[in-house]
Amino acid sequence: MEEDEFFGEKTFQHFCAEFIKHSQQISDGWEWRTSKDCSEGYMCKTQFQMKPGTLVSHPGTSAHVQTCLPVEEALELPPDDFEVTETTAGSEVVKYEYHVLYSCSYQVPVLYFRASFLDGRPLALKDIWEGIHECYKSQLLQEPWDTITQQEHPVLGQPFFVLHPCKTNEFMTPVLENSRKINRSVNYITSWLSIVGPVVGLNLPLSYARTASQDE
Amino acid sequence: PICTALTTGRMTDDKDVLRDVWFGRIPTCFTLYQDEITEREAEPYYLLLPRVSYLTLVTDKVKKHFQKVMRQEDISEIWFEYEGTPLKWHYPIGLLFDLLASSSALPWNIIVHFKSFPEKDLLHCPSKDAIEAHFMSCVKEADALKHKSQVINEMQKKDHKQLWMGLQNDRFDQFWAINRKLMEYPAEENGFRYIPFRIYQTTTERPFIQKLFRPVAADGQLHTLGDLLKEVCPSALAPEDGEKKNQVMIHGIEPMLETPLQWLSEHLSYPDNFLHISIIPQPT
Repeated sequence: MEEDEFFGEKTFQHFCAEFIKHSQQISDGWEWRTSKDCSEGYMCKTQFQMKPGTLVSHPGTSAHVQTCLPVEEALELPPDDFEVTETTAGSEVVKYEYHVLYSCSYQVPVLYFRASFLDGRPLALKDIWEGIHECYKSQLLQEPWDTITQQEHPVLGQPFFVLHPCKTNEFMTPVLENSRKINRSVNYITSWLSIVGPVVGLNLPLSYARTASQDE
Repeated sequence: PICTALTTGRMTDDKDVLRDVWFGRIPTCFTLYQDEITEREAEPYYLLLPRVSYLTLVTDKVKKHFQKVMRQEDISEIWFEYEGTPLKWHYPIGLLFDLLASSSALPWNIIVHFKSFPEKDLLHCPSKDAIEAHFMSCVKEADALKHKSQVINEMQKKDHKQLWMGLQNDRFDQFWAINRKLMEYPAEENGFRYIPFRIYQTTTERPFIQKLFRPVAADGQLHTLGDLLKEVCPSALAPEDGEKKNQVMIHGIEPMLETPLQWLSEHLSYPDNFLHISIIPQPT
């Protein structure tokens, strides 16, 4: 409705549109989605990954989903009671979905994500956590500015994991200040996603950065 | 009591409204899902549910009651269902009732499940800490809208804890000792920066509508509930000379559309500091 802040919904949509333009150029798979009954929309991307060699836990254990980091328990497997859907060499295909929404309460973008096997069984947070590079794990555990919780997706109404937005301004302010100093405009979404994305297994090809700094 | 005040336009004592909201109860009958495996027959369990609380916070006795007749290996995470709809524990109880069951006869009949948790529909609730985290997250978001987070961030951790303990232990005075600070605004303003609200309808795909909306217009006039709906959910309102199709319900009552939104936010918010508004079909 009103935008007296520098990062209002229209600005969000603008940066997403620019971001998606580049994504289309390099076939990176990002799309814009709107829900039927509102004008607001969000960015999303689906990617498939092989979950290497891990035995799939019995559906029953998905009830023990960790809702907050840090995750310190080792992956526990129930004794003989597991199913494995094999493709090759005991690995399994996992579908990851990443959604970038705008929070009007905090006036920042928010990253929602979920992962499931092809038959629809969801991955627990600790399974997703395993796919993340070690250096990001320690960063996340040290930095109290981000926690991952399970929340309802505000458009789809389904459970997703969310990187909490309340500290986004804290780490984005230096980025934006710096870009002003060196007089180079920056795509807020590109910068933000390049910081938070890798933490949850989402990596941006470098060409995004080159595009963002070219559009003056 | 609130009914009279808000439907006739007379403001009853404001503190009474706060108490009436806090102490609202819904008579509920919990029945075990018929396919659950039991060692003996499971009797239904009756309970008065606090409108302002959350299902998983107030149903320990329900869980214990049914687990007494079940074997440990048949018990997994508890979840609740009403007429085929899994109930979202992270929505306040009063909201769930108003939205799904207010036009049906009391008691509210809820089915209890211990198997086949609906992963696609419901958030997991592994502990009381998860409920606290969710509750505090809502309180913080509400203050981001009302005060740019200044009031909540100025509070000490023990104050945050007191809000939660007040809710958990049904302590009105303990809760409001802290919450009153979240209901203040600068003397030079006429209200909060933006009003924390969510509007729910079962007929839409989207779970709720939430937008930025100021309590005061540019000319200083206080915005009303009707103004809000006209702006963010016009389909909820009856056409000029048409028939009223919907009820606009908060805490089981229909406030007059002329009620100032700022007043509603200060008096009819849930403990999470949000106005949770249900749009439901007018019962015939």
